[in-house]
Amino acid sequence: MGKFQAIELYKAPQTSSYTLLPLRFTPLDQDHYVITNLAGEYLRLRKTTLADFLRHKLSNDDPNYMELRARHFLIDETSSIAPELLALKLRTRYSRLSEFTGLHLFVVTLRCEHSCPYCQVSRQSEDKLRYDMSLEIALGALDLTFQSPSPNIKIEFQGGEPLLNFDLIQHIVLEAKQRNQRFAKNLAFVIATNLALINGEILRFCRDHSIQISTSLDGPQELHNANRPRPGNNSYEKTIEGIKLARAVLGRDQVSALMTATEASLNCVEEIINEYLAQEFKGIFLRPVSPYGFAIKTKSYRAYNAERWLAFYKQGLNYIVDLNRRGTEFMEHFASTILKKVLTSEDPGYVDLTSVRNHVKLPPVII
Amino acid sequence: MSNTGLESRHTILRFDKFVFSLPAVKKAAYKFLNAFTADINLDQDEIICTLTFTPPLNEELTSRLIEDFKKEVLDQDLREQIRSETEPIRKLIFALAFSKTGIARDGQVPSD
Repeated sequence: MGKFQAIELYKAPQTSSYTLLPLRFTPLDQDHYVITNLAGEYLRLRKTTLADFLRHKLSNDDPNYMELRARHFLIDETSSIAPELLALKLRTRYSRLSEFTGLHLFVVTLRCEHSCPYCQVSRQSEDKLRYDMSLEIALGALDLTFQSPSPNIKIEFQGGEPLLNFDLIQHIVLEAKQRNQRFAKNLAFVIATNLALINGEILRFCRDHSIQISTSLDGPQELHNANRPRPGNNSYEKTIEGIKLARAVLGRDQVSALMTATEASLNCVEEIINEYLAQEFKGIFLRPVSPYGFAIKTKSYRAYNAERWLAFYKQGLNYIVDLNRRGTEFMEHFASTILKKVLTSEDPGYVDLTSVRNHVKLPPVII
Repeated sequence: MSNTGLESRHTILRFDKFVFSLPAVKKAAYKFLNAFTADINLDQDEIICTLTFTPPLNEELTSRLIEDFKKEVLDQDLREQIRSETEPIRKLIFALAFSKTGIARDGQVPSD
């Protein structure tokens, strides 16, 4: 009877030559790093393992080796198809790029009857007609809009308060729909409005042309009115009345709201979320003040630092998680966006989370 | 790398320029802009960083920032090496991913 060979003979060689694929890394704590790659794959590694891996010293029987290969951090003689797979994932992740941008913001006026100190545009007082978009500019902007190769075009009207120039909005909507008979794109419209000027006539036009409403609701009455001053100190009342009216004419799903957290908001995140629940919204987007426009002039964006913002955000997110655990379905949209970006192959394309270093910064066209 | 104390707000760090790249030191310094500014100079063999810390300061914080900065220089240097080693395959992957999308036509690819 012949002798069996020693088991070592049948084992693959322990050191394999492998090639690194593009990757990024950052420390998590004293002993661990997280590595990520082009396709959004990630892996948590011990510092020593990462060092071995990058020096090409990682043994192919190391438990991390197969994970690194499966998630496209290395290729070896058994995975020559990896570049093609990684390219496919990359292409899927950024498929929206081939369509350029579909979102076109029309700033139809810089006038506003509110005087919110955190406003992210360079708001002007209401009577300065020279701050309205002209018809000539609007038509030129539509030329640009319809040059987009995207089959989905969304035109969002912003301000100032865009309803102060509603005549132009009507003109743009009708002109866009007429031009679209030739282009046959999925055309959608949104008006970002504080709702103070909304009325039945405007809403009927919105209903007839499938225009959605996006408004601002900063929280309970006292906070909202403090954040969003207007003559009469009744922004909250106007907003709530407007939401009800808009829902009645357009339908519940055609009206959404956004909040902005000022310093006064930081101690009342639960009250803000409760207000959204009371107004029967299905979620909230907890947003800090953006350092643009009027917020720069008033320095309101510097009223709190990242640490205080994160304390506010974490408390709010914990509260929302708890609400869901107790049976109330409610979403925090920022967390949802981040989790989608981190955990799926689909990039949500949220501009504020798109790094220039990703080579894909693609903001909406703002006209 | 070595460091020399100047006065409490300033520290000089020296990096062997045959071991560390200048871009790695600059990128690491950029990451710590909120804690200190760095004047970076070269001499024959060394990259010399004079760090000026932003007050308020204490010795423990300063020591920790210096240690973190040295670790970051190492990390940035490693990133340079990875970038260099993986650049050809990175270009290949991007070419495979986007060559058929019509995003870039011939002669219209911007140089990065």
